[in-house]
Amino acid sequence: MTAAAEPAQAPTRHNRGRIAAFAIRVGALFMFALIMAYFAATAPGFVSTFNIINVIEQSAILGVLAIGMAVVIIGGGSDVQTGGIDLSIAANAGLCAAIYALMTNAGYNQIVTVSATFAAGMAIGGLNAFAVVWLGILPLLATLASMNVAAGLELTITENTVVGTTSSLLTVLAGGRFLGVSALALVLILFSLAAALVIHRTPAGVRLYVVGGHSEAARAAGLNTALYTASTYIFSGFCAAFASILIVSRLSASTPGTGELLLSVLAAALLGVVFSRRFIPTIGGTLLAVLFIGFLANGFQLLSISSYWVSGVQGVLILVVVAVTTFARPQER
Amino acid sequence: MTDAATRSAFDLAEHKSSIAVLVAFAAVFIFFAFGAQGFLSLTNFLNVLVNNVVLLAIVALGMTLVVTSGGIDLSVGVSLDLASLAFIALLAHGYSAPLAVGAGLLAAVLVGLVNAILIAKMKISPFLATLGVLFIGQSAQRLATNGGQPIYLTTSAHAQTFAAISRSSFLGLPTPVWILIACIAACYLAVHRMAFGRYARAIGAKPGVAWYSGIRVPFTLAQVYVGAAFLCGIAGILLSSSVRSYVPMSGNAFLLDAIGATFIGTALSRDLRPNVGGTILGVVLLALVKNGLLLIGWNFYWQQVGIGVLVFLVLAASFGLRRRGD
Repeated sequence: MTAAAEPAQAPTRHNRGRIAAFAIRVGALFMFALIMAYFAATAPGFVSTFNIINVIEQSAILGVLAIGMAVVIIGGGSDVQTGGIDLSIAANAGLCAAIYALMTNAGYNQIVTVSATFAAGMAIGGLNAFAVVWLGILPLLATLASMNVAAGLELTITENTVVGTTSSLLTVLAGGRFLGVSALALVLILFSLAAALVIHRTPAGVRLYVVGGHSEAARAAGLNTALYTASTYIFSGFCAAFASILIVSRLSASTPGTGELLLSVLAAALLGVVFSRRFIPTIGGTLLAVLFIGFLANGFQLLSISSYWVSGVQGVLILVVVAVTTFARPQER
Repeated sequence: MTDAATRSAFDLAEHKSSIAVLVAFAAVFIFFAFGAQGFLSLTNFLNVLVNNVVLLAIVALGMTLVVTSGGIDLSVGVSLDLASLAFIALLAHGYSAPLAVGAGLLAAVLVGLVNAILIAKMKISPFLATLGVLFIGQSAQRLATNGGQPIYLTTSAHAQTFAAISRSSFLGLPTPVWILIACIAACYLAVHRMAFGRYARAIGAKPGVAWYSGIRVPFTLAQVYVGAAFLCGIAGILLSSSVRSYVPMSGNAFLLDAIGATFIGTALSRDLRPNVGGTILGVVLLALVKNGLLLIGWNFYWQQVGIGVLVFLVLAASFGLRRRGD
C-alpha cells in the first residue's frame, strides 16, 4: 500500500469499524432485551419483584468474582493467552470459604475469622502477583498452578466434605433486609458501585486501563506498571475472599466444587466486553453480563427447561459474542 | 560484537532453563528413591507407566501440537469424553468393537473440526473458542447421560473387547504403552521432522510472518486442532476400556496436567518452545511426583498441592531465567 492511499482509506475503515461496533453493542443490548421479553411473556412469575431480587441475590457471588476477573483483565490486557487472567479466583474462593467455615466452627471470633479469610485470599492473590510481575510467568500458567495449590489446600483442610456452619454475620447476610432489599442484593449493588467508581472515575482507574492497553507506553509515561498489575491480582484475591463469605452465607456451608464457578466467572467477564463501546472490560458491562447469565438460568428454571442446557447456552453465547466482536475489530496481523 | 554478546548470554539462559528442569527431575527422583519404599522397582515403574503416564502423555502430545501453533486447547477433555461416550454407547448397543473404536475417534475428530472452524475460519482466539466448546461439550454430556450418570459395561462379552485393548501385551509391553510409543513417534515426526511442524511453529512464533511467507495458516491450524482432538480420542478409548465404563466429564482431569507438562517441556528446548521430548519428560516428572507422594503416604489432596507447587517452581525457574536471558 502506498503512503498516499493510506490516509484516504483509513478514515472510511475507521468509520465502518465504528458503525459495526455500534451495531453490535446495540444488537447485544437488543438481544438481551429480546430474551428478557421472551421470558417475561412465557415464564410465569418472571417479572415479579420477588423474582428479580432473587436473581440479583443469586448473582451476588458470581458478580463479585466476575468483577475481580474483569479488573485483572483490565490491568493485564485483554489478550487471553498473554494478557491478564486469573484462573485461580474460583478455587481461591473455595479455599477461603473452607477457612471461614472451619475457623467459625473452631470458635474463633468473627473479626479474627474474617481477617484470616481475607488474608488467605489476598495471599493467593499475592502469590499470583509475585509470579506474574516479578517472575514474569504468563498469567494463564501462573494462575493455573496457583489454582491447583488453592484447590488442593481446600481439599486437604476440608477432606473433601461439606463444612456446615453458622454465625451472626452469615445470618445477617443470608436473611437481613435493608429498605426492603435483601442483604446479598445490596452487597452486590454496593460492591459494583464502589468498583465502578474506582475503575471508571479515579485517575488510578484510568491508569490501570493504560497499563493493560499498552504497558510499554504506560512505563514510558512514568507509571509503575508492576505495582498496578500486582494490585489487580491482589484485588482479585480480595474478591475471592469476599465472595467466599457470600458463598458460605448462601449455602450455610463451604462445599467442595466451588472451583467449578470458574467457567461462569470467565464467561461473565468475557461476555461483559460486548456491552462496552470499545469492547474492553468494564464494571458495568461485567455486571450486565452477570445479570444476563443469572436471568438466563432463572428463566430456564421457570420454564422448567433442564438445567443441563445452561452451560451449553453459555458456551454458544461466548462463541457468538466473540465471533461477532472479532468480526468488528480491525484485523491485525 | 554486541550481537555475539547478547547471543552468548541467551545461550547461557537456554542451558540454565533446561538444567533447572533436569535438576528438578533428578532431585525428585533421588528424593523418592531414598524416601519412598518400593519406588525404585521395575514393577512400580511399569505401574506408573501404565496407570499415570500413558493417558496423560497422549493428551499432552495433543496439547503440545496446539501450543506449538501458538494456541491452547481447553476442550481436550471434551474430545476425550465424547470419544469415550461414542465408543461405550456403540458397544452397549451391540455394535462390533472396530466400529465402536472408529465411532469414538470420529466423535473426537468432530470436536477438533468444530475447534478448527472457530479458530482457523472464524478467527476466534483459541482460548475463547475452546472454552465455548468446553461449555457446550459439558452440556451435551449432561443431556446425553441424564445429568452425568456413568455407563458401565460389565458383561463378559465386552470384557474381551476391553481386555484386548487395555490388558493385552506385545513383546512384554502392554498394548497401551505401544500405542503411546506410536503416538510419540508420529508426533515427533510431525512436529520436528516434517514441513507441517515447521509451519505450525512458524505460526506459533509469528503468525503474521507465517501468513506473508505463504504458509496456509488456516489449513495448518485446522490440522493442528483435528490432530490434537484425534489424540484425545485415542486416550478416551484407552481410558474407557481400562475402566470398562464411560464416566461423564472425566476428561477434564487431564487438562491442567497436560498444560503443565507441555510448559515444563518448553524449558527443555533451545528456543523455549514446546517440543515432544520435553512434554514427555514433563509428563513423566508429574507422574513420578504423584506416585512418589502416594508411596510416602501423602493423601490424594496433598498430591494436588504438591503438583501445583512443582509446576509453579518449574515455571518460575523457566520463565525467570528466560527473562534474565533476553
